Amino acid sequence: MSRIGVFVCHCGLNIAKTVRVSELAQFASTLPDVVVAKDYKFMCSTPGQEMIANDIREHRLDRVIVTACSPLMHEQTFRKVLAASGLNQYLLTIVNIREQVSWVTHDLDEGTAKAKALLNGAVSRSRLLMPLTSRVIDVNPDVMVLGGGIAGIQAALELANTGRKVYLVEKNSTIGGHMAQFDKTFPTLDCSACILTPKMDSVLQHKNIQLMTSCEVSEVKGFVGNFDITIRQKARYVDHNKCNACLACTEKCPGKSVSEWDEGLVKRKAIYIPFPQAVPQKPVIDREACTFFKKGKCRLCEKVCEQKAIDFGEQDTFSTVKVGAVIVATGYDLMDTRDLIQYGYGKYPGVYNALEVERLFNSAGPTSGKVTLRDGSEPKAIAILHCIGSRDKNSHEHCSRVCCMYSLKFAHLFKEKTSADVYQFYIDIRAAGKGYEEFYNRIIEEDVKFIRGKVARVAKSVDEPDRLIVEAEDTITGKFIKLPVDMVVLSPAMIPRSNAKDVARLFNLSTDKQGFFMERHPKLAPLSTMSEGVFIAGVCQSPKDIPDTVAQANGAAAEALTIVVKDKLELEATTVMVNPASCCACQNCVRVCPYGAPFFNEPKGVSEINEALCKGCGLCASVCPSSAIIARHFTNEQVLAEMEGLMEF
Amino acid sequence: MAVSFQQIEEKLKTEARRLLESGEVSLVLAWGKGYDEKHPMPYVAKCPSDADGIVFNEYCTHNPARYLVRYPRGTKIAVAVKAADSRAVVQLIQEDKVKRRDLVILGIPVYGIKNPKTGELIDGKTTCGLYNPVLYDVLIGEEVHGQPVSSPYAVLAEYEAMDRDARFAFWKKELDRCIRCYACRKACPMCYCDPCFIDQRKPRWGEKSPEPAGNLMYHLTRFHHLAGRCIDCGECSRACPVDIPLYLFHKKVAKDCEEMFGQAAGMSIEDKPVLVNFRMEDSDKILE
Repeated sequence: MSRIGVFVCHCGLNIAKTVRVSELAQFASTLPDVVVAKDYKFMCSTPGQEMIANDIREHRLDRVIVTACSPLMHEQTFRKVLAASGLNQYLLTIVNIREQVSWVTHDLDEGTAKAKALLNGAVSRSRLLMPLTSRVIDVNPDVMVLGGGIAGIQAALELANTGRKVYLVEKNSTIGGHMAQFDKTFPTLDCSACILTPKMDSVLQHKNIQLMTSCEVSEVKGFVGNFDITIRQKARYVDHNKCNACLACTEKCPGKSVSEWDEGLVKRKAIYIPFPQAVPQKPVIDREACTFFKKGKCRLCEKVCEQKAIDFGEQDTFSTVKVGAVIVATGYDLMDTRDLIQYGYGKYPGVYNALEVERLFNSAGPTSGKVTLRDGSEPKAIAILHCIGSRDKNSHEHCSRVCCMYSLKFAHLFKEKTSADVYQFYIDIRAAGKGYEEFYNRIIEEDVKFIRGKVARVAKSVDEPDRLIVEAEDTITGKFIKLPVDMVVLSPAMIPRSNAKDVARLFNLSTDKQGFFMERHPKLAPLSTMSEGVFIAGVCQSPKDIPDTVAQANGAAAEALTIVVKDKLELEATTVMVNPASCCACQNCVRVCPYGAPFFNEPKGVSEINEALCKGCGLCASVCPSSAIIARHFTNEQVLAEMEGLMEF
Repeated sequence: MAVSFQQIEEKLKTEARRLLESGEVSLVLAWGKGYDEKHPMPYVAKCPSDADGIVFNEYCTHNPARYLVRYPRGTKIAVAVKAADSRAVVQLIQEDKVKRRDLVILGIPVYGIKNPKTGELIDGKTTCGLYNPVLYDVLIGEEVHGQPVSSPYAVLAEYEAMDRDARFAFWKKELDRCIRCYACRKACPMCYCDPCFIDQRKPRWGEKSPEPAGNLMYHLTRFHHLAGRCIDCGECSRACPVDIPLYLFHKKVAKDCEEMFGQAAGMSIEDKPVLVNFRMEDSDKILE
């Protein structure tokens, strides 16, 4: 016989609007083993909590059911009430009658009926609950940061400055990310490289940061506090310990490939450093472009290298790092605008995407900072097209947030560097940010022409074959315009990295509709993920500008620190165990576990669980054909009892 | 088939004797004499002289792979298999119930096996219909050229034409006849759980004695435990004393599985058990 207390929350009108709460409490009191049932306006408030605590004492309750909001919100709150009252916290059951009932119906009868059914199930299960003891584990003090753009750099530096060891993993041969490609940053127009490269250098110099470039994560095991992460060091064919960065190799190399850093506007060598301030300042060989790898002979770089650092036989190597928390800051890709054929990118040489234009402005870029078209001439009229592929139902619905501002920046720089007429084709100008509206006003005064209207098409001019015609409707005057220009700049949508899905799978992250990593809560936990101990920062979460990215990076660093600063971590007691007598040795559990917790004990011929790795997701229990796996807190009996309770109502 | 049943039997005996004499294996799973010629039985030869007891004729329907899991892990076993039986061996290797290195597979290409109860030829209607074993170490006889013309799923046409309600009514009617002798479970090479879920008391998944609800629970669960694993040997249906066409359900699930995941059970030891193996490119149709 149990003594169950049921506490029904109104949540103001959130629940009470579509569930007759007093009727629900009345119904609860008729159920077997329920000794007290009450309803209250806000159960999570201090008086509400005190009411539960009093009733536990007064009625000697041994099970508590709170019918309220999602357990994600207040399970911990009520667990603490139980613990403070001397009850084991796992004897609490939360019935979610807000997200799962009142918010999904307008019908009072329907809502009340569903709430009763759920409660009936919970009472049946509650009787079978067992007290459980939380596990305490040691926490690894180190942190891994994935992605060496500004977000990753910032987070790594912050963490390293607190004395933590940080592994900064970057897939390219240098850190810096997209920010290293930019020329000026809005709205202050300070030089991007001038503010970024000192940070890149600090990363290299920092004794607490282990920089791992040309690396990718290949496997993630363990969980919060104790991640075991396998990292693949891609072969660079240059021994960076021997290389003294004399760069004689890059001069002699005959192999050519397009420069990723210059957005394909120029070529680079097959052995190369991406850009002069690259960190680390050591070359790598691009296997695809290398004459030796393609034709079997050349080895010029090997001949000129006095340090004997070239090693064509180098293979990918794997290493494991152990960390307590992970920050994922993998950034973004620009949408491939070739798919939007109406804009003619890739077809007309006069059409550029935003990153290419960044490189044109840059003094270290392909034109040494001169704005010229691909044929070397200076453009006389330039159209900047906003929202290419973003805010577009046919392509990407989201707003890429930064395009308005960088388009304004482009306009300013075009005015500064050329005598061209500059036209902005926009839908709305979104200049929400510190100093952004002021910047917008400044650009208006610089004689930049703003045309409100989305461009329908970019076509070749019939009269002047070298020029382009931009066709759009000016939605302010209602006129259809055909504007001859020399240069068209597209502001493409920022989209998740092409391999974001793989990263999501490695770290068990969820992704939103666009494929950006999903935060645990859009407002209250914007940097946490559903995977505990894994945090996100920067554009991999959603498009944002540099100030927001840096702020997020700092936030993520602080979040990671809250975990690794502790020596011990308390974990949920809801793990699984194996009843060896029932185990049929099919090893399904071993195959399905995303955390690698079950393993097969060959001599005994049964599966066993490494509890330190178990997160209690219950996948193994659900695939166990002989019910040998018992998920604590969700045993078969408990779940069946709940289902019976649900169905009998 | 160029080689006669008699020749196969002789060759089986020779191989079994050789393997047992050399100590390469400690037992040979095959078929032996039953109470008459029409009813041979599964047979275990444990010493060279036992090899003489091996029988092979057109009524050797049983799947000897069923008995592999009975012996402790690591036991060296030679197993005689027909085409579908070999798929069971492959599936067991995939599931790591037996190790490839512990097995000597005596593959028998054959057609013309008959159901002892009805005398009907066993073909793609009740089994996978293959002629040649998919994996073997020693070939007993000669490979049969050509493959069956009809698909093993052809028999499903009539069943698939039924709508949901009709199918449920069909199975309810068929399964109501079940006497819960568990012969299907005993004959099945993939049914190796001990204890079977239906024998468990905590929780009690279903009634043990024959009654409609318990019958449905037992069979539907068993069908789904075999999803993606049933190698379509058809032994469950032949073992059934009340002739419930269990193979129909198994074939339907196998077909769905193959269509969704592009993998039939027990065809290659490189494959992983399909329903407990996640691949990015997996179909989401199963969620619909």
